[in-house]
Amino acid sequence: MSPVATVTDLTKQYRGVTALDRVSFSLAENRIYGLLGRNGAGKTTLMQILTAQNFASSGEVTVFGQHPYENERVLSRICFIKESQTYPSNLAVRHVLRAARLVYPGWDEEFAQRLVDDFQLPPQRNVRKLSRGMLSSLGIIVGLASRAPLAFFDEPYLGLDAVARQIFYERLLADYTEHPRTIVLSTHLIDEVSDLIEHVLLIDQGRIVLDAEAEALRGQVVTVAGPVAAVDEFARTGAELHRVLLGGTARATVRGDFGAAEHNRARSLGLGLEPASLQELVVRLTTQPNGHAPAATTAGATSKEAAR
Amino acid sequence: MNRALTVARLQFVAWPSVVGWPWAILTLSFVINLAVYGAMDDTDLQPTTGGLLSIYVMMFVACLNSITQVFPFALGLGVSRRSFYLGNVLQFVAQAIGYAAVLYLLAVVEEATDGWGIRLRFFGLPFVWVENPLLRFLGYAIPFLLLGFLGIAIALVFKRWGVNGMLTLTTAALIGFGGLSVLATWQHWWPAIGRWFADQSGAALLVGWPALLTLPLAAVSYLVIRRATP
Repeated sequence: MSPVATVTDLTKQYRGVTALDRVSFSLAENRIYGLLGRNGAGKTTLMQILTAQNFASSGEVTVFGQHPYENERVLSRICFIKESQTYPSNLAVRHVLRAARLVYPGWDEEFAQRLVDDFQLPPQRNVRKLSRGMLSSLGIIVGLASRAPLAFFDEPYLGLDAVARQIFYERLLADYTEHPRTIVLSTHLIDEVSDLIEHVLLIDQGRIVLDAEAEALRGQVVTVAGPVAAVDEFARTGAELHRVLLGGTARATVRGDFGAAEHNRARSLGLGLEPASLQELVVRLTTQPNGHAPAATTAGATSKEAAR
Repeated sequence: MNRALTVARLQFVAWPSVVGWPWAILTLSFVINLAVYGAMDDTDLQPTTGGLLSIYVMMFVACLNSITQVFPFALGLGVSRRSFYLGNVLQFVAQAIGYAAVLYLLAVVEEATDGWGIRLRFFGLPFVWVENPLLRFLGYAIPFLLLGFLGIAIALVFKRWGVNGMLTLTTAALIGFGGLSVLATWQHWWPAIGRWFADQSGAALLVGWPALLTLPLAAVSYLVIRRATP
């Protein structure tokens, strides 16, 4: 299966600031990707370059086998809903939907109308009078109903309440099951989408620090708690990402290849062991104590992931 | 090309506001002029108004907005810069032709009714007379294009180079025009310049020279938009 998009050694510099630093990865067909990272990590810039809205300083970008810049064949199959997307001030919700219907070959009008009802969006209301949450809903509707083979959602749920977010996740999953395509969700509500995403791309300070299947990650990161000496011993079997000390006991987040043997070992050492959430992993990998790069020990595991 | 047509249609999804505003304002201006000069009831007066300008200014503003507002929207929907530019030009050239035709007809009616019964010149070409009907039509259409492309070019400088770009452009324009007028005054060129303008035919002032200025603006705008980010 050839990848939908390939990025090789992509670097983007803005006046001395390196927004993206030799980023390389690829997007496979018909998968949901979570593009995770802190604010300012480079997520939006990366998506802008993939959709030819912005220009790379160096490196290669290929989407559907071609460079996306000014490439109608490629661009007509992409939908990029930016969190900061603006709409012409004379348009109402229904105008935006009509415009999207004109542009997208795969547009599903009935689906769009159903989503308008689901999100309770007022079709006659001018876009400039929409609340933040309503604007997000509008972006979500365009992104979903476009049925674009490659859709980017950049922080799609800003201002949405929990109910609306749940509607988004449900509709996304249902429609994705019926019409498989490649979806990239950029988000920092990691726990909410962790069941949704199939592949994790974690970006920190312009670098990809994690590129792995969500399923594979689930057993890979654990939290162990117990006496310091026992934790020390167990931590040697993997890469320690984080540790909290409380008197004689320690609580450590460790990443490694943990099978039944390791679980038994932890039990015999008298350690409590539980799988860490994706959110915890992301926080540990992108938190930088004392300004140092996140635990150098993870570098080996990361490059192993990237090589797969 | 299909994609460019799509972009042109996209600009008309809210067509009442696109077409309605310029004509509503022009109509309002016309009615006010009609009322004011009608109320004066002075038959010796042959009023010529500048009210026609309003629709040209609206076109200029609409073209500014097409770059600052529609461009980011269209690119978000996966339209290429080339298609956006072509489609945008297509829709505004279509507007210019349509509007020019209506203005032309209104000027014919104005003439036939002896200035709406009060010798008012509102739609008639303000300062020159162009005999040839085609040139007269172009005299309405080409200034739309000049102002439109001027709007597009200025908005693109802002889109691509931001506030600093606008400041640089303004400074350059001030120095350029200011320097030229200083030079003209110093060298006593003003009478010659005045004569040159007086010697130009109406067609040259309304059609020839604006067309000549429009072409480089259109070409430069295309080059700028190809590297602009939404």
